[in-house]
Amino acid sequence: MVKEFNILITGVGGQGVILISELLGRAAVTDKLRVRGSEILGMAVRGGSVTSAIRIGEEVYGPLIPTGKCNVLVGMEPSEALRNIACLSKSSLVIINTAVTVPFTVSIGESKYPSQEEILRQLGKASSKIVQMDAAKIAQEAGSRLATNIVMLGALFGTEQLPIKIDTIKETIRERFPAKLAPVNIRAFDLGYEACRQAVK
Amino acid sequence: MKELTISSGSPGQRLFVLGNEAIARGAIEAGVQVAAAYPGTPSSEITETLAGVAKELDMYVEWSTNEKVAFEVALAASICGVRALASMKHVGVNVAHDPLMTAGYIGAKGGLVLLSADDPSAWSSQNEQDNRYIAEQGYIPVLEPSSVQEAKDMMADAFKLSEQFGQLFMLRSVTRIGHARGDITLGEISRERRKGQFIKDRTRLVYTPREARINKPLMLERFEGIKKAVNTLPYNQLKLADGAKLGIIACGLSYSYTLEAIKWLEIEDKVSILKIGTPHPLPEELVLKLLKSVKEVLVAEELDPFVELHVKAIAGEHNIPVKIHGKDLLPRIGELSTRKVTEAIAHLTRAKTPVDFASIDKLEQETAPLLPWRPPALCPGCPHRASHYAIRVASRRVARDLGKDIEPIYPGDIGCYALGYNPPQEASDTIICMGGSFGIASGLAHVVEAPIVAHLGDSTFFHAGIPPLVNAVYNKANITMVILDNSATAMTGFQPHPGTGYTAMGDETVLLKPEDIARACGVKFVEVVDPFNLKEATEAIEKAIRFPGPAVVVSRRLCAIIEQREKKKRREKVIPYRVDQDKCNGKCNACIELLGCPALIKEGTKTVIDGSLCTGCGLCAQVCPYKAIVPE
Repeated sequence: MVKEFNILITGVGGQGVILISELLGRAAVTDKLRVRGSEILGMAVRGGSVTSAIRIGEEVYGPLIPTGKCNVLVGMEPSEALRNIACLSKSSLVIINTAVTVPFTVSIGESKYPSQEEILRQLGKASSKIVQMDAAKIAQEAGSRLATNIVMLGALFGTEQLPIKIDTIKETIRERFPAKLAPVNIRAFDLGYEACRQAVK
Repeated sequence: MKELTISSGSPGQRLFVLGNEAIARGAIEAGVQVAAAYPGTPSSEITETLAGVAKELDMYVEWSTNEKVAFEVALAASICGVRALASMKHVGVNVAHDPLMTAGYIGAKGGLVLLSADDPSAWSSQNEQDNRYIAEQGYIPVLEPSSVQEAKDMMADAFKLSEQFGQLFMLRSVTRIGHARGDITLGEISRERRKGQFIKDRTRLVYTPREARINKPLMLERFEGIKKAVNTLPYNQLKLADGAKLGIIACGLSYSYTLEAIKWLEIEDKVSILKIGTPHPLPEELVLKLLKSVKEVLVAEELDPFVELHVKAIAGEHNIPVKIHGKDLLPRIGELSTRKVTEAIAHLTRAKTPVDFASIDKLEQETAPLLPWRPPALCPGCPHRASHYAIRVASRRVARDLGKDIEPIYPGDIGCYALGYNPPQEASDTIICMGGSFGIASGLAHVVEAPIVAHLGDSTFFHAGIPPLVNAVYNKANITMVILDNSATAMTGFQPHPGTGYTAMGDETVLLKPEDIARACGVKFVEVVDPFNLKEATEAIEKAIRFPGPAVVVSRRLCAIIEQREKKKRREKVIPYRVDQDKCNGKCNACIELLGCPALIKEGTKTVIDGSLCTGCGLCAQVCPYKAIVPE
């Protein structure tokens, strides 16, 4: 039985961060694993930063990932991945969707958005394993841009480190979506899975 | 297989849920029959969950106009022998404080539970008050869960304990319980449904000074019984380690962090631990046993040193020479974490921390300046943006006429529109509490000379806006009160309220209009406008400000999120706007700088509209001086 496996999903309100953590949690329970997690709702959902932690294992008690103990950081948005740099250690894996969501504060000149190079350079100081992918584009290939989050979920499984069975998560996806939308999401999952698996090889 | 839901499932089955759903499940298992609440993060999902299954389970669930009323509704049910729950966020308990302080005197007949959702770190609140102090003041015993599972179990037990001891109980949740997720093991659902019975009992229910004097000793007696009983409740657990010099007293969620910390430090067998599930009253016998067995104690609890002070009092009373640490090593501010508890324990045991926190901190500090500021913002198409703009333009016009040094003042309130305090709107000069905008405006009117334009939302108006409105009329406060009526309690998840025409359980009901209430309260200037007609809205607000005496403008437009959902249902197409690049000079930036709509973005020097975000409200087209913004 797995002792502790920590996943942090970060992004912007509306990107479907919470949905992925719900799917992970349900699948973990189906696989008879212990799950803990937490997220910030309320103020944060109106286009603000969103983070959701999912922790699996026998030795997990608290809802938050302790500093430096994240196994995989899933960044649905590059700067939001960077914002959570403190959860990383050298052995953490980072998966980033390269599609940028610029906050309105940049438009009104109140802040600046870092370059992709800056983001990667900084993240590289914390972790040596960073996988990048244009998840929105992959989702489009699968049939819907709305499945971007499921592409990232697939990529998370593509690390081949997760204690949850692939069949279980796919079944959970099928249950969660209406029959009409399930195939697109399964395709998105498979493409994300493959993209990450190739990259981490 | 039938899908397992919050209202089904048999004992032993496991379900992955949000903490607040677990709390609702606990109430369902206890056979709660009445649940009342006012929405507030992080508590709203409890009542939403209960409302969703109310008819199926034969319960009565309501969104009350405010927390005081919610608590009174639950109290009435308890008086009649029915199990009842009142849920609210921590600051909501302040609103319910009046009946709460006498509820202890009354005691409970039907199990009565108050759910207080505290918010350490003030993630979605105006302060981070610690409601265990309120419980102490009212002789209300407190259960504080360490996990999502325990939150469910405690909620189910709280009703039984309340009936067993004839006293109201508080369950103190925190954001990282209510908005945590985890797997829970289900218990049996009680199908018992009692018929409420009101038995006249003046001595217990009619509070003149005489009854206060009669009932206080009885309450104290009940509380003494609870004080003894908590020593054997399963939520308090003492684990003594042989030869341990350090003891940790961990309250509520801090217990989970403590378990992880001692594992991380690899000192599990070297410290004694007292898990506290009832911070009020403390299990004194267990505390004494721990204090007598160790040299040093660390009290781990979130926010104030509530348990710490009581433990110090116990040690002092019994002359136990033990050094007690708490807030000297752990912060009073913000939520705790495994790291914070680990560092405190490492400090006391001189253990080496498992991770080099200092280098992680350094990297984080170095990263901070690179990060763009991403505050939550008003949604694209939000009518509040238009109202804020109209208030600003109208009030500045009046201020200009009054003199060059005069600046309008904007008392603001609690709700989505609070997000407009960020630039570029900067729409609020004060935000303090529910309904505070009108009250603060009333006070300002008597001490400063400036246009005073207060605003609050429809749900907030019904909650706490009516008494200060009456006050403004009665005391002749020359202020303008703008009610931003978007037909929703939007910030907390679109719960219905008296202005929506339907109830928590989905039944149709009367629809109250703020303008009717304002007129009935004696306001002589009342106008209703559509904020998306900027010219009309601005003119009406300007007239209201110039009106001598209190004036009300209802700025009515459905919440953009609800509107988008309804359009989708009706299969109505959203027609976004676009910038005609031939007409836009790309330099004026008026649309962006005046409105700060997330759909308006710069692409190099070009101003463009993100068609996937734009809802077609047309506000930017109205402020563009070049008429360069047009529908697609």
